[in-house]
Amino acid sequence: MAMITFEHVGKRYGGRFEAIADLNFSIERGEMVFLTGHSGAGKSSVLKLLTCLERPSRGRVLVAGRDLASLSAGQVPFYRRQIGVVFQDHQLLFDRSVFDNVALPLLIQGVPPLDAARRVRAALDKVGLLHRERALPIELSGGEQQRVGIARAVVNKPALLLADEPTGNLDPQLSADIMRLFEDFNRIGTTVLLASHDLALIARLRHRILRLREGRLIADEEAA
Amino acid sequence: MKPTPKAAAREPRPRKGARAQRISLDSRYQAWLRHHRQVALDSGRRLVRQPFSSLFTMLAIAIALVLPAMLWLGLGSVRALDHSFDDSARMTLYLSPGSSSEQVIGLAERVRGEPGVSEVEVITAEQGLQEFQQALGVGDTLSLLDANPLPATLLVTPLERDPAEAERLAERLGRLEGVDEARLDLAWLERLRELGALGQRLTLGLAVLFGFGVLLVVGNTIRLAVENRRKEIEVVTLIGATRAFVRRPFLYSGAWFGLGGGVLAVVLLTLGRGWLSAPIGALARSYGSDYALPSLGGGGSLLMVACSILLSLIGAWVAVGRHLAEIRPR
Repeated sequence: MAMITFEHVGKRYGGRFEAIADLNFSIERGEMVFLTGHSGAGKSSVLKLLTCLERPSRGRVLVAGRDLASLSAGQVPFYRRQIGVVFQDHQLLFDRSVFDNVALPLLIQGVPPLDAARRVRAALDKVGLLHRERALPIELSGGEQQRVGIARAVVNKPALLLADEPTGNLDPQLSADIMRLFEDFNRIGTTVLLASHDLALIARLRHRILRLREGRLIADEEAA
Repeated sequence: MKPTPKAAAREPRPRKGARAQRISLDSRYQAWLRHHRQVALDSGRRLVRQPFSSLFTMLAIAIALVLPAMLWLGLGSVRALDHSFDDSARMTLYLSPGSSSEQVIGLAERVRGEPGVSEVEVITAEQGLQEFQQALGVGDTLSLLDANPLPATLLVTPLERDPAEAERLAERLGRLEGVDEARLDLAWLERLRELGALGQRLTLGLAVLFGFGVLLVVGNTIRLAVENRRKEIEVVTLIGATRAFVRRPFLYSGAWFGLGGGVLAVVLLTLGRGWLSAPIGALARSYGSDYALPSLGGGGSLLMVACSILLSLIGAWVAVGRHLAEIRPR
C-alpha cells in the first residue's frame, strides 16, 4: 500500500524555471527512503509539494491514497497535522521552553493539557531529552536542538515523517545519532522520507535511495 | 513494486495508527475555550511586557475617541436646552405702556378666556424692571431713570405646541385692545435646532474620521506585532495551525488595546469634566443658570469602551488579514 505516490509531477516556478520535471515514484507504507541529489536537484520541491506549501504544475501527488490537489485551503492545516516534518534549521521557537516547543502541535490540535504533557514527555524521552524539558532551545547544542525538532515532529505519532537535511549542520557523529533516531521511528511503522546530500552517511545506512538530478529521477536504488 | 495510481486512489482512506482516536465534540469545544483563555491571557501579558509602547497605543486610541465623545456630550446638552424650551413655547404679550394694574388684570382674565390658551402669567412693569436688573446685574443704574420704561407683559402658554397654531394664536391675541405687540420667538428656536443638526453632522463626521484613526492606529500596531512574530506564524502554519488559530492572538491584542484605550478615554473625559466644571459652573451661575457639564454616566462609559473594543478589533482583523496573506512558510 503506497504512502506517497508521485505521478508525472512537474513544478515550474515563474513559468520558466523547472524545479521538477515528470517525476514518478512511489513509497510504500513503512518504508524508509532517502532523497538525494545536489542542491537545486528538486529535493526541497518534493518536500514542499508533500507539505502542500506548493502545488504541482502538472501531475498528481498522492499521500495515503489522497490526491493533495483535492485539499481545499481550509483542509490543508488538518492534512499537515497528519504528517511530521523535521527541518534543517529545526524551526524551534526561541521564546519558549523545549517542552512548549514540542507541545506546539498538540496545542494547535486542542489536546487536553494533561494528555498533551504525557505525550510531550514520551516524545522527549524517545529523543533522550526528557531531562531538558524546562530548558530554552538557546541553551541546547545543535544536535540537541535538532532532536527537539524531531520530538515535535513525532509528538503526534504521524504515519509519515518528512525530513529536510536534518543533519545539514551537524558533525558526522551527531548525524549518525540523528539517523539512528529516524530508523527507530521507522522500525515502529512510521514511513520516513529523508532528503539529504550527505552521500557517505546514507550509503552506510542501507535504505532505498531516490537520486534526483535537475528535477528528474535518475536512480532508484533498492535497500541493500 | 509500484502500484498503479488508480489502485492507490481507490483505496479507502487508511487508518492513521494511534492518531485515529476520536476527539468528541464536547472536548473539542473545551479545547477551543481553553485556547481562547490561554491566548487572551498571553496577549495581555505581551502588552504588559511592553508597557510604554502599549500605553502609547492606548493613549492614541483614547485621544481619538475623546474628541467626538466631547462633541457628542456637548450636543446632548444643547438638545436638552432645546427640549426645555419646547416644553414652554410661550409667547409674550407686551401691553400698551401706562396700562393701569386693573387694566392689566382685566386683560389677563380676558386672554385666559380665549380658546387655545393654556396659561397666563402676569408680569407687571415693576416686576419686569426688577428681573431686568437682576438678569443684567446692573443694580441701581436703572433707578436713575425717571420712569419705568418697561411695559407690563403677559406670558401666554398655548395649548397647542404646533408652531403654526401658536403663530395664529399670537396674531389673534396681538389684535386685542390694550395689547401693543404679541411676540412669538420661534425663529431662534429654529436656529437652535438647525445648529443642533449641524452639530450632529459635525460630530458624526468627526466620529467617523477619528474612528478610522483608531482603526489605523491599531492596524499599524498589529502589523508590527505580526512582523515580530513572523517566525512563529511560519512554524505553526507548517505544523497545521488554521488561519483562525494564527489570527486569534492578534485579535485579542486588538481587543486589549481597545479596552485600554476605551478606559483611558473615559478617564480623560472624567478628568477633563472635573477640570472644567468649576469655572463653567461659576460662569453659568453668573447668568443665573444651574447648567453643569454633562457626564458620560455608567451607560455612556460602557458604550464608549464597547465602541473602542469593537473598533480596535476591526482594525486588528483587517491588519492581520492583510499581513498573514503575505507570510508564507518557506
